[in-house]
Amino acid sequence: MRQAMRGAAGKRRCPAAALRAIGLGAAILLSAGCGGDAGPDTGMIKVGAIFDLTGPTADVGTDYGDGVRGFADWINSRGGIEGRPIDLVYQDYGYQVDRAEQLYTQFVGEGAVIFMGWGTGDTEALRLRIAEDEIPFSSASLSHRLGDPAEAPYNFLLATTYSDQFRIALQWIADNHGGGTPIVALMHNASPFGLSPARQGGVAFAEALGIDLTLYEMPRGAVDFTAEFSRIRQSGAQYVVFQNTSGPAAVALSNARSLGLEVTFFCLNWCSNAQVIQLAGDAAEGLMGTMPYAPLSVDVPGTRVIREYLESRGESAEGKTNAYTQGWWTFAAFAEGMRRVLAAGEELTGANIKAALETFADHDLGGVTAPVTFTPTDHRGSKGLRIFRVEEGTWAPFTDFVEAPGW
Amino acid sequence: MSLDCGVFHTRYEADMGLRPRPLQRLRLGILALFVLVFPFVASPYWLDLANQVAIATVGAIGLNILVGSTGQISLGQGAFMAIGAYTAGLLTLNFGVPWGASVFAACLVTAAAGTFFGLPSLRLKGLYLAIATLAAQEIVEWAMTNWTAVTGGTEAIVLPAPVLFGVRMNTGFNFYWLAVLTAAGTALFAANLLRSRIGRAFEAVRDQDVAASVIGVDVFRTKLLAFATSSFFVGLAGAMIAFHRNIVTWERFTLSTSIVFLAMIIVGGLGSIRGSFLGAALITLLPAMITNLGRAIQDTAPQVASLLPYAQQAVFGIVIILFLIFEPRGLSKLWENLKDYFHVWPFAYRRGESRAG
Repeated sequence: MRQAMRGAAGKRRCPAAALRAIGLGAAILLSAGCGGDAGPDTGMIKVGAIFDLTGPTADVGTDYGDGVRGFADWINSRGGIEGRPIDLVYQDYGYQVDRAEQLYTQFVGEGAVIFMGWGTGDTEALRLRIAEDEIPFSSASLSHRLGDPAEAPYNFLLATTYSDQFRIALQWIADNHGGGTPIVALMHNASPFGLSPARQGGVAFAEALGIDLTLYEMPRGAVDFTAEFSRIRQSGAQYVVFQNTSGPAAVALSNARSLGLEVTFFCLNWCSNAQVIQLAGDAAEGLMGTMPYAPLSVDVPGTRVIREYLESRGESAEGKTNAYTQGWWTFAAFAEGMRRVLAAGEELTGANIKAALETFADHDLGGVTAPVTFTPTDHRGSKGLRIFRVEEGTWAPFTDFVEAPGW
Repeated sequence: MSLDCGVFHTRYEADMGLRPRPLQRLRLGILALFVLVFPFVASPYWLDLANQVAIATVGAIGLNILVGSTGQISLGQGAFMAIGAYTAGLLTLNFGVPWGASVFAACLVTAAAGTFFGLPSLRLKGLYLAIATLAAQEIVEWAMTNWTAVTGGTEAIVLPAPVLFGVRMNTGFNFYWLAVLTAAGTALFAANLLRSRIGRAFEAVRDQDVAASVIGVDVFRTKLLAFATSSFFVGLAGAMIAFHRNIVTWERFTLSTSIVFLAMIIVGGLGSIRGSFLGAALITLLPAMITNLGRAIQDTAPQVASLLPYAQQAVFGIVIILFLIFEPRGLSKLWENLKDYFHVWPFAYRRGESRAG
């Protein structure tokens, strides 16, 4: 008993501290162990990417991510870029800005030379850092401002921006309306993404065309838009344009159908895809879509290569949306930029890749998008697209490539 | 040879110190040493994580003063951080206020806003107050995105980089020192506050507000003071985020931010400064660690790795539930248990044996 007490008293001093020291030591080791080793100048080309597989835009994010991964796999099976295989490092970030920043720092620390981003929030948050780090950055966010090198020198937009898409839709409405003032309702996601087509020139453009434009916010997670539609009905709108992902747009389409609303519906980028048809069924019939990336059902060289790849993997192109095409061809364009750097015998740095991308002049992406042109003063790759229309349950090209009307 | 048993203080000052025992000071010293050495050995990635943890610690301490110590549930953390971030950002951007001054102004403005949104606590308690603060969150979120004239709407605000004596402070390494000093200062202030008369009043209000008013605590005033103090530090965290990234976007300050911070203090330990830090660290690092785990097993077990992103959402919830069930006092209490265990190790007192003996 005495012994035990003495022992207890004697032990009062040190072990917890020692334990803590061990813990901290382990932490240091861990941090050193996981630390970044810069990418070597030959061999693998490291590319960082974040996908939204679990967040609010996972409905389209999953296919986009699969498309990016598919292209990496495909080009590696063909020997990589100028003989150098791609090492694609990617993670889900759940549409959280903090996580995007963590992953960006991690991947760039490990030597990624380009970065494939995703949402508007994370792309905006990283805009300054990528310019500092000189990391060419593609995002699926097509916010107009990101295409202006003065504001975002390392951001590249492959597809038509949201506001250009909106202008194309408005122009089509103005051209095909017939008599009277066209009344348009823009139903948008409650976010920067949702507002960007209207805020970045859309409102002014509608005014110039003599279109009566009203904005309606679609609250996140809403499952019923009856209230919005009754206001839209009262306004006498003949056209409703959605700037949202396919889930909410499909809900709205079904709502409108059950309310018997007779208007022409337009979907901008993120809801003009196969999913919206799948979800809305018959209600999607006649839906128009400004679709910068052709769906896999359209037969052009750029979709054929994807279908062949999927077949070789034993997968079906069925159920893959045009987000898959977008992921694939976005990465493919950057890969072409990197190829040009390597072909010229230059070092694969961010600045060189940026310069190479800025030499794109009417670069053809397999007919999937309108030809892509980048210049040092304009990073909006393509300014045109085809309007598609849902006919008997599939998206069919409705117009030829249409240039976005000038500013 | 005499054997020391216990620590004897001969002066009140020594007895009342924050770290009265040598072992505590030793641990603090080791921690300080680690904090000093860390940025020199860490990669940019780990520095970035450390900075996020430091900022989260400031925010969590702030929230803990309100929720943990005073017992006023708040779902408005994201809103108050937003007020801090936007105030700091807009003052510097529009009026050219030096960043240090605008950070301080942001703290004061947030404290004022917190006090205002704390007014319902006069009548409301518990769940009802939670809903009132939820309203604050919604109002601020709406203002951020729609009050275009002031906040720039949904567009991000780009700030000039903070510069101190000609050195840019928001690189990972430089910001680290700023963030760590701020977090340490916040912790020191909060630790001392909770030992003071005001801090005791906070706890009295939390434990039993009627009894508190009987012994002479002005309950409403104390609650408002808690809202103000808490919001001051929450605003500080928001302002730090603004200058850390040079860019303010509303998407960082949504309701989910409020919930993540509540999770931090629940997992860390309600009413504990140490808990605020441990919780902030765990909740910030957990997703990153799961990500790293996923990357590590990507080649060996791709099936499992591809499921991890989905598991991550569940893990977050499970961690909170497990803590609520098994250790409601959080990581902070676990750390104390660990200390207690080693205190008498290896001669632990075992209940069964001693009864038998």
